[in-house]
Amino acid sequence: MPMNPLFWLLITPIICALILYVVGRTIPPDDESSPNKAAWLSLFSILLTVVPFVLTAKKFTEEGPVSLTAGMITLTFDGISLLMTSVLLVLSAMVVLFSAQYMVAEDHEEKFYGQIMILMSSIMGLTTATDIFNLYVWFELMAVSTYTLVSFYRNRTESLESGIKYLVQSAAGSVLVILGTSILFGLTGEVKISAIRESILTSSPAVIAATACLLIGYGVKCAIVPMHFWLPDAHSQAPAGISALLSGIVIETGLIALLRALSAVSHAHLPLGTIFLVIGCINMFIGTFSALRQKEIKRMLAFSSVSQMGYILLGIGFAISFPASAQNAEGIFTHIFNHALMKGLAFLSAGALVYCIKVSKGNHEPLLLDDLNGVSAKYPLYSLAFTISMLALGGIPLFAGFISKWQILASGIAAQRSWVAFLIALAGINSVLSLGHYAPPINRIYRHVPNNDEVAVSPKFQQAMIIPIIILTVAVILLGFFPGITAGITKVASETLYTMFY
Amino acid sequence: MAGILIPFLIFTPWLTAILVWFISDKHEEGLHQFASAGAILSAILSLLLLSQIGDSTISFAKIGPLFGNLSFSTDALGIILACIANCIGSLTVIFSAEYMKHEKSLARYYSMVLLFIGAMSGLVLTANIFMIFFFWEITALCSYQLISFYNDDPNAVRGGLKALFITQFGGIGLMVAGLLIFGYTNSFEIGRFIQAAQGGEIPANVLGIIGFTLIIAATAKSAQFPFFTWLPDAMEAPTPVSALIHAATMVNAGVYLLCRFFPALEAIPGWKMTILILGLITILISSLMAIFATDLKRVLAYSTVSQLGYMFAAIGAGSVLACQFHLLSHAIFKALLFLCAGAIIHSCGTRDMYKMGGFFKKIPFISVTFIIGSLALAGIPILNGFWSKELILESIHSGTPIIIYILMLFSVILTALYTIRCVWLVFFGEPRSDLHVHDAPFLMALPLGILSLGTITSWLVFEPFSRSLSNSLPLYGIPKETLSELVSKIFWDPYTFLALGMVAIGILVWFLRNKLPLHNSITRKIESISLNSFGFEAINNGVVNGINAASEAIRNIQTGSLNWNIFGMLIGLICILIALMIGGL
Repeated sequence: MPMNPLFWLLITPIICALILYVVGRTIPPDDESSPNKAAWLSLFSILLTVVPFVLTAKKFTEEGPVSLTAGMITLTFDGISLLMTSVLLVLSAMVVLFSAQYMVAEDHEEKFYGQIMILMSSIMGLTTATDIFNLYVWFELMAVSTYTLVSFYRNRTESLESGIKYLVQSAAGSVLVILGTSILFGLTGEVKISAIRESILTSSPAVIAATACLLIGYGVKCAIVPMHFWLPDAHSQAPAGISALLSGIVIETGLIALLRALSAVSHAHLPLGTIFLVIGCINMFIGTFSALRQKEIKRMLAFSSVSQMGYILLGIGFAISFPASAQNAEGIFTHIFNHALMKGLAFLSAGALVYCIKVSKGNHEPLLLDDLNGVSAKYPLYSLAFTISMLALGGIPLFAGFISKWQILASGIAAQRSWVAFLIALAGINSVLSLGHYAPPINRIYRHVPNNDEVAVSPKFQQAMIIPIIILTVAVILLGFFPGITAGITKVASETLYTMFY
Repeated sequence: MAGILIPFLIFTPWLTAILVWFISDKHEEGLHQFASAGAILSAILSLLLLSQIGDSTISFAKIGPLFGNLSFSTDALGIILACIANCIGSLTVIFSAEYMKHEKSLARYYSMVLLFIGAMSGLVLTANIFMIFFFWEITALCSYQLISFYNDDPNAVRGGLKALFITQFGGIGLMVAGLLIFGYTNSFEIGRFIQAAQGGEIPANVLGIIGFTLIIAATAKSAQFPFFTWLPDAMEAPTPVSALIHAATMVNAGVYLLCRFFPALEAIPGWKMTILILGLITILISSLMAIFATDLKRVLAYSTVSQLGYMFAAIGAGSVLACQFHLLSHAIFKALLFLCAGAIIHSCGTRDMYKMGGFFKKIPFISVTFIIGSLALAGIPILNGFWSKELILESIHSGTPIIIYILMLFSVILTALYTIRCVWLVFFGEPRSDLHVHDAPFLMALPLGILSLGTITSWLVFEPFSRSLSNSLPLYGIPKETLSELVSKIFWDPYTFLALGMVAIGILVWFLRNKLPLHNSITRKIESISLNSFGFEAINNGVVNGINAASEAIRNIQTGSLNWNIFGMLIGLICILIALMIGGL
C-alpha cells in the first residue's frame, strides 16, 4: 500500500492538516497584519499533494484506473476522480493563496486552513469510492469539514444560523442516504456499486424507494431544487474563499456522489434520464429567477450556482437518456471545471472588493449591488476580473462558460431528437434571463460616480489577493479560446460516466 | 494569402483592443492615435482581402469534436461585408478622436469598438456555424457595452440591457439552428449543410425549424418586426458607435445570416414569404415612427430599421444580389448620416430637431454631406441608394404579388417624407432656438468627405460586385450583370419613374403640409400610436414587469425558515417517488 500513489494522495492532506494546525497554533504570525504560518504551510501542502496526484494520474493514463485495497474496502481512481481532483487542487490553491490576506488576524486562522486540508482529503476520497457505504462515509466527512467552515465567524449570529440550517438539512439528507443505501444492501447483499448494478436489472417498489432516497439525500448537497434552500445562506455567510470552494467543488462533489450511487441502479429501467432533464430545467429557472432581484452579490452568486448546476444536470439527463449523448458528455465535466474557475473568480474578486471597501475597516456587512457603483476607478483589476467572471457565467463568448454550455447542449442534439431543440431553447432563454443579474453589476462597476465616500477612503490593492485573481482570470479567458486544454481530462471523465450507466 | 490575411484581419483589431486597454486613460492622445492606427491597418488588410475573393474554404485546425473546424470562406458575401465593417470602422475611429475628446474611460471605449470590428470580420468570414454564433455573441456584448457606455445615465443602461436581451434572445434562434444542423449533418460547415439540405438529407420538419429559428435570430439582430424596439433605444450610445454598429455593420448581421443560408432554406414552404412580410411590416411601421419622431438620432434609427426591412424584403423576393447591393449602399450613406448627426449633436449639444433649424448657413460642410446622405436615403438619382433601392423594387415587382409592390411604393412616399422633414427641420427654416454650432474640425470632416464620396460613387462598382458574388457563390444563383445592363434596366423601366413619382409625392406632402387636410383625428391617432411604438414598448415593459413579478414570487419560496427547508426535501421526495413510479413500474 505505501507504494501506491493513491494512498499518498489521500493521506497527504490529512497529515499536513495536523502539522499545519499545530504549527499555526504554536508559532504566532510576525505581526498583526501578516498571515498565519498555517496559510503558507497549507499552500505548500497543496503543492505537496500535487506530487502523488501527478503520479496517480500518470499511472491512470498508463494502466487504467488505479485501485487501493484495504481490507474489504477498495478505492479506485478513475476518470471522474482525475477530473475532480484536478479541479480541487487548482481551486483550493487559489483559495488558500487568496485567504492568506483575506483571513489575516481572524481568530483561529489555523483551523481554517486545517479544515480546508481535511475537506480536500474527503473530496478526493469520495470521488474514488467504489462501494455505496464507503461513499456515504466520505460524504459525511466532507459535510462535517464544511459545517464549521461555513460558520467560521462563530461570533456572528447570521453565520451560526446559516451553519445550523446547513447542518440540519444536510443531516436530514444523510438519513435518507443511509436509508437508500440500506435498502440496496438489503436487496442485493452487496455494497459494491458494480455488483449491485449487475444484480438489480428490473425496477421494484424497493428499488424505487432506494433510488428516491439517494436522489434526495445526495441532492441536498448538490443543490437540486427544492433541496437547495441551505445554499444561499451558507454561501453568503461563509468567508469568500469558502464560498468559492462550496460553489466550485463541494456541490459538484455532491453530484458525483449522487451519480456514483445512482449508477448502482442504472440497469433497473428507471426514468433517471428524464428526471435529470426535468430537474435540470427547474434548477436553471429557479436559480435564475431567484437571483434576478437579488441585491446581495454573494447571494446572487449562490443562486447562480443553483442555475449553473441546472446546466450540469441537463447534460447528465442527456447522457443518461441517449447513448449518443453519453459518448459526447465531456461538456458536463468541462462545465464542472469551468464553473469552478468562473465561480471561484467571481467569489474571490467580489471578496477582494468587499475586503477593500468593508472588511479591512472592520465592517462585516455583505457586499451589495449599490456598493459596486464606480469601483472601477479605484480597483480596475478587481473590477475587470469580476466583470469577466460575470460575463463568463452568463455564457458570453471569449470566456470559458460559453464553451462548456455549448458542449452540453451539443451533446444533447447528438441523439437527433427534434424535441431536444426545445430543451436547448429553454436553456438558451435561461441564459438570456440570467444576464438580467450578471449584466447590471457590470454597469454599476463602470459608473463614474461612486455610491458613497467609502470607496474613496478605502485602501488600495491587496497584493496577495491579486495573484489568484489574475491566474483565474487568465484561465477563464484561455479556456474560452482553447477548449482543448481540458479535453484530455474531461474525455476520460465522460468515458467513466459512460461505463457507469451503460 | 487569404489564409494569412483573415487571421490578421480578426486579430489586428483585437490585439489593438487589448493594448489600448493597457495604455489606460492617462495618455489620451496616445489612445486616439493607437486606436486609429489599429483600425486603419485592419481596413487596409480588408481591402487587400478583396483581391482574394474566390470560392475556397480555408480550414486551420479542429477546435474540438463539438465545435467543428476553425474554417473561413473566401467568397464575396463575407469579404465584402468584412471590408465594409473595417473601412467604416476605421472612419468612425478617426471621427471618435474629435468626438470623444476629453471623455472618461476612453480605453474602454476604444477596446470595445476594436473588439467589435474584429468580431464582425470573424462573423462574416467564418464558414463554421459554431464560429458564427461565437462572433455573433461577441458583437452583442460590444453593442451592449457601448450603448451603456455612459453608465451613469439610467437611459443608457436601460438601452444597453434592452439591446442585449433582445439580440441575445435572437441568438437562441441561431444556437438552436446551429445545433440542429450539427445534429443532423454531423458537421458545422455551412457548405456541408447547404449540400445536405439541397440533397434532402435533413428531415423536412427539422429543416423547417432551422429555417424559422434563423429568421428569429435575424429579425432580432437586424431590429425587424417584432423585435425592432431595441434599436431606437440604442441611440444612447456615443454617435460614432451608432454609425458603426447600429447602422452600418452589426445590424446587417441578421440580413447576412439569411443570405448565407439562403440556398439551403429557400425551398422551405413559406420561408421567403415570412421574411418578405416581416420586412414589409417593419418598413411601414418604422417609416411612420420616423415621420413623428423628434430626436434626430431616433429618426435615423427608425430609418435604419426601415432600410433593413428593404433588405429583408429583397431576400423574401429571392434576390440576394439586390439585398447585398442595398446593404453596401445603406452602410455607406447611413454611416455618413449618423456621423453628420454626431457632428451636429457634438456642436449644438441637443438631439431635439425642434430646437434646431437654419443650420445650413452656419455649418455648410456638414449640411452638404448630410443632404447627400439624405438624398441617397430617399432614393434620388444618381446616388447609391437610388440604384440599390430600385433594384429591390424591381425584384419585388417581378417576384411577389402585386399588393406587396403597391405597399412598397407607399413606403417610398413615407421614406421621402421623413427624410425631407428631417433635413428641413435641421438645416432650413428659421432657427428655433439660440444654439451655437460650428462646422466640423478636420478629423470629423475627413470621414464625412470620404463617405460622401462613397455615397455618390459606390454604385459604380456594381459590375465587379455582382460578378464576384456570382462567381464565388455558385449555389446561390446570383446573376452576373454589368453596370450598363443595370443602368439601362433601371432607366428604361417605367416602374422606376413610378417610384420616383412616389418620392416626389413624399416631398410635396412635406411642403404642402399646411395646405393639405392633414390635421385631423386620423393623423393624430396615427401620430399617437407611432409615438408609442405601435404598442411594442408596452409589450416590452409587460414582459419585463412579468419577469420581475415572477422573480419576486419565486424569491418568496426562500423563506429562511428551517422547517420550510426540510419540508422542501419532503416535497422533492414525493415528486421523485411519483416520477419513478410512473416511469419505472
